[in-house]
Amino acid sequence: MFLQIWFLPFALLATATLIAIPLSGYMAWIMDGKYKPLPVLRWFEKRLNFGEQNWKQYTVSLLIFNALLFVYGFVVLSLQPWMPLNPRKLGMLAPTTIFNTVISFMTNTDLQHYSGDVSFSNFSQTFFCITMLFISAAVGLSALTAIIRALRSDKSVGNYFLDMWRVLVYMFVPAAFLYGLLFLQQGSPMTYKSDVQVATLEPGAMGTTPTGQPQLQTIVVGPVAAFESMKMLGTNGGGFFGMNSAHPYENPTAFSNFFDTLAMMMFPFALVLMYGRMLKKTRHAWVIFSVMMVLMLGTIVWSVHFDTQKPNPGLTAHPAKTYQVLDASAAGGKRAVNVPAVAALPVDQHLGNLEGKELRFGTSAGATFAAVTVDQTCGAVNAEHDSLNPIAALSPMVGMWLNCIYGGKGVGMINMLLFLIIGIFIAGQMVGRTPEYLGKKIDARVVKLAIIALLVHPLMILMPTGLFAGTSWGLKAESNPGAHGFSQILYQFSSASANNGSAFDGLGVDYGLNNNPSPAPTARQFDIAAGLVMLFSRYLPIIAPIAMAAFLGIKKTSPFGAGTLRDDTFTFGFLLIGTIVIIGALLFLPAAALGPVAEHFGPIPFGG
Amino acid sequence: MTRYISKSVFLLIASVVLVCGIYPGALWLMGRIFFPFQASGSLLRGPNGKVIGSKLISQPFTKDEYFWPRPSAASYNAAASSSSAIAASNYALRARVATMLGPIVKYANGPKAGQLVAPDIEAWFQKDHYQGQPHIVAQWADGHNELAQAWVTADPTHAAYVQAWANAHSVLVKQWIQQNPGTPNPQPTDLAVPFFENFSKEHPGKFPSAVTATLPGGKTQTQIVPVSVGTDIQSTFFDMWRNDHPHVPLQKVPGDYVTTSASGLGPDITMENAEYQLSRVVAKWASDLKRNPATVRTEIQQILDQNAHAPLDRLAGEKLINVLEVNLALREKYGAPTS
Repeated sequence: MFLQIWFLPFALLATATLIAIPLSGYMAWIMDGKYKPLPVLRWFEKRLNFGEQNWKQYTVSLLIFNALLFVYGFVVLSLQPWMPLNPRKLGMLAPTTIFNTVISFMTNTDLQHYSGDVSFSNFSQTFFCITMLFISAAVGLSALTAIIRALRSDKSVGNYFLDMWRVLVYMFVPAAFLYGLLFLQQGSPMTYKSDVQVATLEPGAMGTTPTGQPQLQTIVVGPVAAFESMKMLGTNGGGFFGMNSAHPYENPTAFSNFFDTLAMMMFPFALVLMYGRMLKKTRHAWVIFSVMMVLMLGTIVWSVHFDTQKPNPGLTAHPAKTYQVLDASAAGGKRAVNVPAVAALPVDQHLGNLEGKELRFGTSAGATFAAVTVDQTCGAVNAEHDSLNPIAALSPMVGMWLNCIYGGKGVGMINMLLFLIIGIFIAGQMVGRTPEYLGKKIDARVVKLAIIALLVHPLMILMPTGLFAGTSWGLKAESNPGAHGFSQILYQFSSASANNGSAFDGLGVDYGLNNNPSPAPTARQFDIAAGLVMLFSRYLPIIAPIAMAAFLGIKKTSPFGAGTLRDDTFTFGFLLIGTIVIIGALLFLPAAALGPVAEHFGPIPFGG
Repeated sequence: MTRYISKSVFLLIASVVLVCGIYPGALWLMGRIFFPFQASGSLLRGPNGKVIGSKLISQPFTKDEYFWPRPSAASYNAAASSSSAIAASNYALRARVATMLGPIVKYANGPKAGQLVAPDIEAWFQKDHYQGQPHIVAQWADGHNELAQAWVTADPTHAAYVQAWANAHSVLVKQWIQQNPGTPNPQPTDLAVPFFENFSKEHPGKFPSAVTATLPGGKTQTQIVPVSVGTDIQSTFFDMWRNDHPHVPLQKVPGDYVTTSASGLGPDITMENAEYQLSRVVAKWASDLKRNPATVRTEIQQILDQNAHAPLDRLAGEKLINVLEVNLALREKYGAPTS
């Protein structure tokens, strides 16, 4: 039992680390342009590479390309009813949902206010989703490369279009093809048919049609293998089907689940080491890598311990309890509420909380995946996060709040860089020396940019959460009572701001197709609010750090002296963890107390 | 600026051709050539050669001759996968599980070991006392307004029954409107709680349930009447019975028997769950085929063992069986169930 729980997470961490070492070398080799392209590819590179860019030109290119991507996505999705590969005659999504979905995929978030199996044709799945899966991941990776070049004080930060092309052609497409074959072999469909009708083995078990015939089972299929591999490798996380990597076609076996989880981790792990290789600061990169590993272990152990090793508290016994509730009208301002004892239901829960878990992945696979998918800002899910044990759900939330544990394509490393600058700045203040990073003096302008980029995240989570939790916009969407309802809203905006994309799926945010007669009442508000949050939380934390790195890069490098803060030691790692925990986590402590923590302390069961 | 735009357009077009054309096309071709079974959805064929489902997608089974899959929040609709998204703290989860358990739970030890608890739930219900207070149904509706309302909306005949009650009890309805001035024209759902409170007093030890009666002339008629036995009482009031008898040892039901999978389409159940269902399956086939239960059990156990598989070869989890494959094997071995 012990082995069956802990083998999977530790095997994953070890394998990802082992792959990251050579992969980071390959990535640095590609991004530094040391390879010789094939003639046909050289033609493309010549067309794309119109010369070196400075950081402003690079950023403008990035923004223009993303604006074009938005237009492309909006057009493709709007045209669904008139496009081929749509035998189910699916109509158009609601306009607000298109707005939300385009931003969501463009920003590598992949928060889905729709279900792919219900609302998307294979045309939209291919030309909208698959395009975005590749491109949005490449954007983050290119941005990180530009930052590294700036920090290296290169003459220029490279050419944006060439960087994008390199990432796509030399990293993502080959990796996705290999992974696609693996998923195919394991059982993911790869067809352009849209669905199969089957007569079930027990006729009529699905019910009967109005004409008295046994109801058939409609099974939606499509180009799932091609979708799934890049969804995971690009840490996108938007599912082909509504239930994402929990769906048997997206993730058919325990073996595919292992590689599904590994696919999320490979590139983010390698990017940290690539940072070290390109800056020629390998030991420093390993210190950062270790800090991330410690945090990641924390989130995984937390969720596995509280979800797999503990039963679902909704079904267990609870003693009678008395809660002191604030009540202005009562004497002393407090009122006692007595909750009677609850008896245990006779359910064998030795496999942990099984509500919303798939059995075929393995005992701890759901809880492990829940932690990995937020640390890697992927957002795919292979279990229902809404049904995680209350305190276990704190793990994915903390992962999104910190948003720097390896992180997605480049962005996690960029966030870590911000914590690093702030940490060094604080350390410098404490000992009274001018703080330096990579021998460059950290001045007021750099710290300001770092703080702006860091503050976007809590503001974009806490402000809309407050707005929706305090008004009928949020209250009408909650599907679970009490503290968990608040958690649903908090999770929604944490996921949007962290560009993660996982969700507490019960929250009523789906409008569905535009002609849906009974959409979720406040789906439009969620579409627009979450769309804007994703937009700001994606681009500000990319632009500000590029600028910050550029300002750092043009400074003179001061020689290494006796008073220099060493960035490759245990002490430095400790300083970094301290900064992340104190600045990153404490910002969200009050929100956590109102959500998962309050839910954990009961009463359970609640409401109903 | 125009150069940035033209390069962006060029990059986008080149990327779309590469990742929407060449890349999935190559995979599609590989699927056609090397993995045709998987590429089209792992479809299984039944005894008559027709496709009966996908190996990877759960489908419902209700007959006693078959193993049953996990409950599905998607109603086994493979065109709309869905989880329950019910939080552990939400009473709806406990209520759903308790409702499933009531009719099937057995005593673990003592003089009644192995016997169903259900008759005792009915006997306890007829005495109409919960936690020392009278009127179980009234307490149930008071404590769980949402369940009471869900009963009213579950079926049109339920709503009609409550409406008939409201017409006959205009005084009580007026009282309710006075207490709830925001709802001047209450619908049956709004009146669920006062209905059950009154029902409980007028029919102590009874619960409204659908009963099918044969009329003279051979026609059948289903109507709602107060009953004191039946599945409705066993399932609805098991949770309250349990709270009145918290320390009675009961046989535990496998966790996956009462919980929904994340996709609503998970094809597996645990071996424990299969073995829990084995007696039912064996008994039914044995009586259908008029064969010795012991040999049938050996044969079915063999089918289970042949199908057993475990995540990462037992490194990551316990033994599972694929419900559709096992049931297909049963169907091929024993033919179609008789009933």
